[in-house]
Amino acid sequence: MDISYLGLGLSVLLLIFPLLIFSHLKLKLSGQLFNAFARMIVQLAVIGITLQFIFAQMNLWLTLLWMLIMVTNAVLTLKGRLKFQRRIMLPVLITALGTTSLIIMPWILILVIKPIPLYSPMFAIPIYGMVLGNSMNSCALALERFESGLSDNWKVYYTRLSLGANLWEATLPVFRKAMQTSLMPQLLTIASIGVVSLPGMMTGQILGGASPLVAIKYQMMIMISIFAGVSMTDYTAIRLYLLKRFDKYYLPQGE
Amino acid sequence: MDELLSIELSRLYYADKELLRNVMLRVGTRERILIVGITGSGKTSLLSTLNLMNQSYEGSIYFQGKDIRQYPPELLRSRICMVMQEPHLGEGTVQDVLDEPLGYASLKHRDLSDRMGKIKALMKSFQLPESHLVKSVSQLSGGEKQRIALIRVLQFNPDILLLDEISSALDQTTSGIISDCIFANFPGSVIAISHDPLWQDRWQRIWRLEEGILADTTKSEVQ
Repeated sequence: MDISYLGLGLSVLLLIFPLLIFSHLKLKLSGQLFNAFARMIVQLAVIGITLQFIFAQMNLWLTLLWMLIMVTNAVLTLKGRLKFQRRIMLPVLITALGTTSLIIMPWILILVIKPIPLYSPMFAIPIYGMVLGNSMNSCALALERFESGLSDNWKVYYTRLSLGANLWEATLPVFRKAMQTSLMPQLLTIASIGVVSLPGMMTGQILGGASPLVAIKYQMMIMISIFAGVSMTDYTAIRLYLLKRFDKYYLPQGE
Repeated sequence: MDELLSIELSRLYYADKELLRNVMLRVGTRERILIVGITGSGKTSLLSTLNLMNQSYEGSIYFQGKDIRQYPPELLRSRICMVMQEPHLGEGTVQDVLDEPLGYASLKHRDLSDRMGKIKALMKSFQLPESHLVKSVSQLSGGEKQRIALIRVLQFNPDILLLDEISSALDQTTSGIISDCIFANFPGSVIAISHDPLWQDRWQRIWRLEEGILADTTKSEVQ
């Protein structure tokens, strides 16, 4: 069932309540509230119109171009967010997100959903968005943890080196910890799905008219893809980062 | 004497600062060398150059006739071992700490038969009771930790032991135990930095770093 523009306008009126609360508390958030929602509305309107267009075209190249824009955006956002070792970050991020994309997307589209045609944008684009968005966040966390795990305590690293450890052996404990930190919350979320909350994608599908049984299958598929994608991205990113972070004597470079 | 290490440095520097120039040294087996000099004279830089931990130098260093840069770094570092002032032991029991490097590929081809026997003998000469093996490292005192760090290195029979101020945080008794033990029992060569007067008297050879020059004195006639 579609929402009428009048109806959507009436939902905006709900914002009266937070505004009343802010004014009662003399909390200076009203400006930010208007700003945030205005941005959201404009951004979603633009994306909605663009996607409407792409979905209607059903063109392989146009779909691929849009996916390329998505991944570029993800790489640039990540690059802006990571404040260390900027010099080596770009190839690391491109390769990590690229590898994940090239494994997960064909797998899901060719083996699992099999839409006709395979590149149907209404499947490829939302799924890619979910995988990419999660991979991006997790990759930032994993790289941050890996770098701080090393640089907060170089002595530990140097002690391992001076006992005859190679680069891999000397960084493995930190690598493990970074992976654990970034993947644990994902696993906790996965384990709590359905019990605590209905995930966004499933809610959207059910509201859009799909049967709950179809919606849960999509949800399972998407959670699996996200977790696989996130693990791959984190792992690839740290492995590449590792190679660029150290010289051939395993000493950190580019401080 | 069998030549173990041959140091031919035209320049040793740190960032923009020149620390030493024209250092030509030969180190044989079973030598006991002490490096002295004021802070900033380049003692640690020189020491860490020898196990590839410092690349700020011009010239070459040969270990058993081969440029150290030609070795896989981990292999060289398992032959020329460094122990630092505050070694990191990690977590777990003393046994866990001693076992940690066993997984390293660089140690795969070592003869490690009777490693435990060697560890026990080392603990005895370092005056640590064997019961410490099952003790958690977090319960050890500073001096005990330092001795465990040394045993962790010595169990693999390195050719050269590099010691960077390992006794500076220790009391005289402990420092004495450590120097006696290394001095008497270690079959390889030792190159150490120390301010401890107790150590300074015992070493056969002293490398004094002063104003960019390394003065090499052998005290074998005194001993």
